[in-house]
Amino acid sequence: MIDLNKTLGIGSKKGRLFGIIVLLILAVILPLIFGMNLFLLTILVLMVIFIIYASSWNFLTYTGQGSLGHAAFFGLGGYVSALIATASGLSPFITIFIGGGAAALVGLFIGVICVRLKEWFLAMVTFGFAIIIQTLIVSQFASISGGWDGIAAPRLVSTTIPYYQLIEYYSIVLIAVLIILLFWIILRSKIGLAFAAIRENEMEARAAGIDPVRYRLFAFLVSAYFSGVAGALEIHNLGYITPEIFGVDISFWPIIYSISGGLGTLAGPIVGTIVITVLWDGLRMLGITYARFVIIGVLLVMIIIFLPKGLISLPENVREFIEKRRKSS
Amino acid sequence: MAGVDVVLQVLIWGLYAGCIYILLATGLNLIFGVMKVVNFAHGELLMLGAYITFTFYALSGWNPYVLLGASVPLLIIVGIIIERLCFRPILGTGKLNEIFISIGLIYIVQNAAAIVWTDEWRIIHSPYERITISVFGVNMPLDYLIIIITTALILIGLHLFLRRTRIGKAMRATSQNRNGAMLMGINVERMDMLSFGIGAGFAGAAGTLWVVSGQVFNPYMGSIPAIKAFAIVILGGLGSIPGAIIGGLVYGIAENFAIFTLGGAWKDAISFIILILVLIVRPTGLFGESAE
Amino acid sequence: MKRELLLLCILCIGFALFAGCTDQKTATDELKIGVVASMTGPASTTGKDIWQSAVLAAEEINADGGVYVADLGKKVPIRLIQGDDESTREGGMKAVSRLITQDNVDLLVGGFSSAVVSAHQSIVAENKVPYIIGGGSSSAVSRRTDIDTSYMFFHRPNTEDSAEIIVLFIDRVMRPDINQKFGFSENRPLRLAVLYQDTSYGTGQRNAVHDYIKKYNLNITVVSEASFNMGESDFRTALTSIKSANPDAVYTVTFLNELIPLVQQGRRDVGMNTIFFAIEPNDDPDFYRGVGTYGEYMMIQSRFSPYAAPKETRDAHTAFVKNFEKRWGGFPGMMGVVTYETVYAGAEAVENAGSIDKAAIRDALDKLEIPEMIEVMKNGKIAFSEEFRESKFELYMAQLIWDQGAGETRPVIVWPDSLKEAGFILPDWYRPGQD
Repeated sequence: MIDLNKTLGIGSKKGRLFGIIVLLILAVILPLIFGMNLFLLTILVLMVIFIIYASSWNFLTYTGQGSLGHAAFFGLGGYVSALIATASGLSPFITIFIGGGAAALVGLFIGVICVRLKEWFLAMVTFGFAIIIQTLIVSQFASISGGWDGIAAPRLVSTTIPYYQLIEYYSIVLIAVLIILLFWIILRSKIGLAFAAIRENEMEARAAGIDPVRYRLFAFLVSAYFSGVAGALEIHNLGYITPEIFGVDISFWPIIYSISGGLGTLAGPIVGTIVITVLWDGLRMLGITYARFVIIGVLLVMIIIFLPKGLISLPENVREFIEKRRKSS
Repeated sequence: MAGVDVVLQVLIWGLYAGCIYILLATGLNLIFGVMKVVNFAHGELLMLGAYITFTFYALSGWNPYVLLGASVPLLIIVGIIIERLCFRPILGTGKLNEIFISIGLIYIVQNAAAIVWTDEWRIIHSPYERITISVFGVNMPLDYLIIIITTALILIGLHLFLRRTRIGKAMRATSQNRNGAMLMGINVERMDMLSFGIGAGFAGAAGTLWVVSGQVFNPYMGSIPAIKAFAIVILGGLGSIPGAIIGGLVYGIAENFAIFTLGGAWKDAISFIILILVLIVRPTGLFGESAE
Repeated sequence: MKRELLLLCILCIGFALFAGCTDQKTATDELKIGVVASMTGPASTTGKDIWQSAVLAAEEINADGGVYVADLGKKVPIRLIQGDDESTREGGMKAVSRLITQDNVDLLVGGFSSAVVSAHQSIVAENKVPYIIGGGSSSAVSRRTDIDTSYMFFHRPNTEDSAEIIVLFIDRVMRPDINQKFGFSENRPLRLAVLYQDTSYGTGQRNAVHDYIKKYNLNITVVSEASFNMGESDFRTALTSIKSANPDAVYTVTFLNELIPLVQQGRRDVGMNTIFFAIEPNDDPDFYRGVGTYGEYMMIQSRFSPYAAPKETRDAHTAFVKNFEKRWGGFPGMMGVVTYETVYAGAEAVENAGSIDKAAIRDALDKLEIPEMIEVMKNGKIAFSEEFRESKFELYMAQLIWDQGAGETRPVIVWPDSLKEAGFILPDWYRPGQD
């Protein structure tokens, strides 16, 4: 049978609630403790944006799909939102959702091609789409996208407003909470059950009258949409967009975050993003350069082999291990 | 203007450039055939082959072609280590895991190489660099001819190995039917190790040939050739060697056509557009087996 | 269950603490300069060059007692703080915000890739920290109007400047030489082909070639254009297409990993007996070693070369290269020398301001006028233009001549006349294109 708890995360209901509350409180008070520290805010803002992005990427894996080219959606969301906000003067708070819409449209198109493909092909096709879209942006659409030079984008919250950085941060946190809440609602609904059924056994799901293609497409659409929103948020935070946004690193980070946290769980990408960001920036402060990438790579390989359910399953595994030890002794 | 000699010339360049891709693609196909695993970090093995050649060349000053004798065996060992440590533990736990573990490997190998060799651009000069010979009335650098012949010899060697030797036959049997092979008493795990080793060794050979052909390299150089080799393999159909050769030809023509018409920026993108178009029509690639 | 939450809490608090702990005490007895450089990622070779040269400059200034600040009534030493932008936009954001808030730097220097610089420009603008940028050569970066760039100073030529001097050289020197040598009419236009990297850098120069030909009304026709992706290694098709257009010269916009195979393939494989033009980032020892004999007689546009120096600044050039070699081993690159100069320029501005107040330093930078150091400047001075705060360089053209002793080619400055060491040579094997 399908265990809904497994889909959503780990631990008991009470424990999860407690965890969420602690995390939210920390998200709210952290910037205040250190008196609006710009560095802390920069790290936190990028972290929350990547939590949205990694969660959206992870949404695909609920249906057993994966992507090596989500930078295509991240970047498209950024470009469309930046262009519309600049041309129309609309607030970025509105245009980010239009940017997401553009990413979703393209996502739907890619999804139609991808849903029938095997995993290796899916990986190559998604990877290729990021390159194709980057090429389009710098060549055929260069006159509106600014080509390789890129274009400026208005800030999410105008710099003339006092405490704009803080307002920006809390807005992004709020958007992240709403998006993850929406994911939770979707996964709790019949759609979530259908996702799990398709992932566990496609044949059985078909027999039960579930159309895997439709659900996979839906997952692609949602994933692309919110990846686009995340990209737009980043762009309105940086204030400038260049085609480098379609780079391989942008495609790979959400994968690394999601795998380390735990694939196919709501908590996974959140925990993964936080842990890896802290590790990454922590190692940088220790003056470690290339070895950082090696450490992240080794961590990723070890997690895939020894902790297939990611870091969020670590406490459980440790407890089991201790209990086994106790029993044997 | 586009006389016969120009066409012939372009064909020879394509043949030479194709050698690197064919070695990579054949290695990938071999690994896929036996293990049903796609190693996305294959380009990093090419890069290691290049650096091993570079290091031994700097130390010994020997003819770099002789150093195939160093890069191939060392890469076979590296391949076996990677297979045992990374791919064997996750075999059968889902295709996505294999892809994700390759991403981890890419990060590890690239940056370990940057630590060992620094990430400055490197180059070595072949002793035959300035020698050009005439083949069928077309001028051609001697190095290219040696590379084409070496690749051909390696491929013939592989063919003989797979057809004539016991181990080679066992590998083919494993590739056709893993369970059947197991029942026949073939140690399939040893076949996995061997196929991964040979695949990696081929990438090592490609690395040496890359270096002697006068290309510059740094720790990040492997990704572009590897992606092209993948696209070729997938286009031709996973596990199909004639498919890989035809896939390579299609790409060569398409890329060059794109440079002429759409501009050089489209060179990489066009490969993927073709790949996607083919996959829409035939989701298993041109020559791929339809079954798992 | 409780254990895992505890873990989470510890993690978050730990994170907060480590972010907070690195807060530096504000010491007033030193001048803190943040160096934005890519210590990791694809641009890390350049990043190391930037950092090492900055260290060299700071050590020299400190050995001399430091920088005199009138407000403090004494000389204070420079302390450099490294900000690794990881060659990414996000990494640059984090590095710069840390330099500004945690390390409280008085001045920023460095910056290389235009994409990375444009992403952290807004933080610098909002926090009003003087920033002398040695890279970000796209004028889209230095001439932004959507943010307040008044605290940013650009000590590098714009992308377009390279194109300007190359097309001028071609029209003034190369075209008459060809017409004379091959008995062409004086009015015969020179046939130029452009082969450029498909990036902001490459497209910027391609456009500038056309703009400057039009602006100066030069007798040059662009007969062929081709682009390639960054990191490309096979140029044979593009070169064949160019060759069939019969150019008199080929203008290339590349990095050295592309230029080495490009020249080799062009001269050897495709058999082009023509002059290749290269741009300044290639002027690096690795290039001369890599290109070998195929580089003979090709042209390179430069402002700092490992093997050539205009006589105006030859002593400073020699001293810098020697000191760099002694301190770090190896050669400094173009980004290195720029950073070296910017650290000196920054120190000078602080002395002129007499204070480490950021607005005062900015004003001093605005008015700064110091004699050229290693790179030759327009009017012999490092000064920032009024409108966009860009310094103006005197660029030069060098030709690669075989050096038997080195076993490699070496650059010889042939233009402009004020810096020239020898005349431009059309080699015997050179063949002009046919109309």
